[in-house]
Amino acid sequence: MYDVIVVGQGLTGLLSAIVAKKQNKKVALVAKGTGKMLQSTGLMDLVPGSNKDFSQWMELYGLSNREKITVKDAINEFKRLTEKIGYQYVGDVDKLANIVTSSGHLKSTALYPKTITPIPEKGRVVIVGFTEIVDFQPEFLKGNLQKERPNLQIKTMSVSLGKDSQRTLTQLDAARVLDEKESREQILKQIKEKMKAESTEGVDLFIFPAALGVQQWEEVHTQFSSELKAKVTEAPGLPPNATAIRLHERLRKEAIKLGVRFYADTEVNGFSEKGTINEITIKMSNRSAKLQSYHLLICTGGILGGGLEQTAKGLKETTLHLSVNKEGSYVDLPDHVYPVGASLGTNVIHYGITGGVYSIVSSYLTNFQMEQSDMRGLQRA
Amino acid sequence: MHELSFHETTFEKCLKCNACTVSCPISNTTLDFGGPKHLGPELKRMMDHQEVIDDSRIELCTLCGTCDTSCPENVHVSTLTSYAKAIHAKEKGTKFRDIVLSNAELVGKLASTFAPITNMTMKIKPVRKVMQMVLGIHADRQFPSYEFSNFKRRYNKKHATTERKVAYFTGCYATYNAPDVAGSFIKVMEYNGIDVAIPEQKCCGVPMFANGQMKQGLKNAQFNTNSLLEYTRQGYDIVMTCTSCTSAFKKEYASYLKTEEAKELARHIYDADEYLRILNEEGELNTNFATINAKVGYYAPCHMKGQGIGNPAMDILELIPGFEIQDMAAGCCGQCGTFGFKEEKYPYSLELGKTMATAVEELDADYTVTECGMCKNQLDQLTNKQVKHPMQILKSAYEKVPVNS
Ligand SMILES: Cc1cc2nc3c(=O)[nH]c(=O)nc-3n(C[C@H](O)[C@H](O)[C@H](O)COP(=O)(O)OP(=O)(O)OC[C@H]3O[C@@H](n4cnc5c(N)ncnc54)[C@H](O)[C@@H]3O)c2cc1C
Ligand code: SF4
Ligand code: SF4
Ligand code: SF4
Repeated sequence: MYDVIVVGQGLTGLLSAIVAKKQNKKVALVAKGTGKMLQSTGLMDLVPGSNKDFSQWMELYGLSNREKITVKDAINEFKRLTEKIGYQYVGDVDKLANIVTSSGHLKSTALYPKTITPIPEKGRVVIVGFTEIVDFQPEFLKGNLQKERPNLQIKTMSVSLGKDSQRTLTQLDAARVLDEKESREQILKQIKEKMKAESTEGVDLFIFPAALGVQQWEEVHTQFSSELKAKVTEAPGLPPNATAIRLHERLRKEAIKLGVRFYADTEVNGFSEKGTINEITIKMSNRSAKLQSYHLLICTGGILGGGLEQTAKGLKETTLHLSVNKEGSYVDLPDHVYPVGASLGTNVIHYGITGGVYSIVSSYLTNFQMEQSDMRGLQRA
Repeated sequence: MHELSFHETTFEKCLKCNACTVSCPISNTTLDFGGPKHLGPELKRMMDHQEVIDDSRIELCTLCGTCDTSCPENVHVSTLTSYAKAIHAKEKGTKFRDIVLSNAELVGKLASTFAPITNMTMKIKPVRKVMQMVLGIHADRQFPSYEFSNFKRRYNKKHATTERKVAYFTGCYATYNAPDVAGSFIKVMEYNGIDVAIPEQKCCGVPMFANGQMKQGLKNAQFNTNSLLEYTRQGYDIVMTCTSCTSAFKKEYASYLKTEEAKELARHIYDADEYLRILNEEGELNTNFATINAKVGYYAPCHMKGQGIGNPAMDILELIPGFEIQDMAAGCCGQCGTFGFKEEKYPYSLELGKTMATAVEELDADYTVTECGMCKNQLDQLTNKQVKHPMQILKSAYEKVPVNS
């Protein structure tokens, strides 16, 4: 018997499991695959695809002014956690930052890892691509960035990672190459030589693909900024972005180390007929089993995560097979089942996706609800 | 039509999301590997439209199954890569070395017969140099030792008489290299009043699948399925102490054989710790453990993680008073069955094992626990901590209980 079962291992599920485990609860996490974090930029947006600010966001998600403090607490908790796991996030929901993406467009985001520097209004910028990474084209980035920031002086260059490969290289592959000291040195050497040849001086910011190391990101970042004598940023783009992979790997590791029990390659498929929803049915390849818990957190990511399915008759809930309304929210929610993040239905989804900030806040709020329910249980007993 | 063309349709659901490649330990260690997305669903898609494609990079896949667990669309990626291996072996032929390595059972029989000589010989430098030259087995790779008194010579009961009946699929490792693990398991069951039978069995086939010896592997799978079903149909539960064996019976047999029998059998297979956890949940476990004051690191084998059973070894060991156990969350060990023995794979193997070695060093526990004999082999080589199987610890926790308590 677990205290808490979390379904899903996206950002919402991993955070929920970690928060619950820190309250000394027995926690299981059941998921049929990795979540969408691997395809994301790793930036925590308020409303992806828009420039909506914090107060508009609060309104959009139906949060009252009174809850503002809780939201800030959740954000601070997330920052503390990311610092502890060695991949610190910075930024502020009240003051969105402008981040450049690999297409050269600016995107406003609330929280971002320390590897990223917001784009200034003016100054000298050099965009560095790797010849082996076709997803990142410095000239293309320059074109769009120049339109967004006419006062920037932008140069571009391409250097080689110096590795033969048997597959099309991604940002993540490049990031793992940069984890090696020798590779970093030969790349820095090329950059310096090119700068010398073109007498590039007084650079304020270097823009790279989201590939500045995975395990060793801190060393990469420090070494690059000190040797290039300028600020350095990553421009996330087509997945997999190292910015997102770092967070995913570290959150998973933290959850495992804390003792969260992972049921991987496992699908939640309804609940016990005879019993209550305290007992769910899980399906592995060729087998099934039952798991019990006091609380059940549904972090299945809504339509994109597989928790909701669009059918001819409207939305269908895939995990417990309970009825949902046309927004995908549960009609009759049993009191120990908690939908979290995008599982709450389409009213928390805007422009197709729920932003990372909502995942953070929602998993924090749900933990409060669980605690309150535990207290009520104690009072009754 | 190629005789190895096979029916597997899950690849059609592939969204090319890359989650498998991002998670694959080999892809993350070397650019020489094409990655599961490419060598699994993409290759299969091409092959279904044209002729068979042989991609030699598939040799680097260890069949760890991490791709399966990361795929959100439930594509059976490692089934696809295992067939790609079989195709490669067929097209390019199989090295004599790989035939030897894939036949863990035959090697076990021979090596344990001459155990003192085998163990000594495997430590002689010049001999190992010759082995590297002739066989392509890396000279610096330590080997697990073999025991003359192998488990078959120690215990061979064919029927159980208690109410709960367990049939134990021993596996090659516990039979030939670690009879103490097998012996400990029998003792643990004894402390729980459960009789254990040893059914007729052949190697589970995992090393064969990994070396592209699909036909031989399927033969073994068929033999084991027939043999074990005789037991399950009489009410036996099948229990194993090797997580690669359990994983093969639960997942691969059904995926490869595609028979109702294999599926039926899969429902009766338990990892030893998983089985004890069921006993505990049903109030049947003997929890009269002596205190063991130890701080221990747990290393989770890939083939345990893929089974969707949580972490039964830790669940059970945590019941021992004083026993502090921490999951090291350490990634792939790099031994990966026969992979780490091979001359040309040895450097990858060491590179893969680095994170594990660092995790062991950082935790600095009294010793390490893992269920997998092959992971133990790598841990023995790359770390200075002793490595124990959960059954060995449980046995001593039972034995140390004072008689009159
Ligand atoms: C391609 C893409 C890019 C994005 N990029 C960004 C970004 O850059 N910044 C940002 O802020 N937001 C981004 N988002 C939004 C993102 O969806 C959220 O920020 C957040 O990651 C959602 O996380 P989640 O945990 O709620 O769901 P998901 O990450 O979708 O996780 C759902 C989990 O539930 C599991 N699951 C579902 N059903 C079952 C079942 N029945 N049984 C067991 N397991 C089940 C799935 O396997 C998965 O593990 C992006 C979304 C997508 C799709
Ligand atoms: S089985 Fe393991 S090594 Fe092979 S492709 Fe999948 S994740 Fe990679
Ligand atoms: S994880 Fe699954 S869906 Fe994604 S690329 Fe791999 S096989 Fe395809
Ligand atoms: S997986 Fe099991 S049967 Fe196969 S070699 Fe290992 S121990 Fe032997």
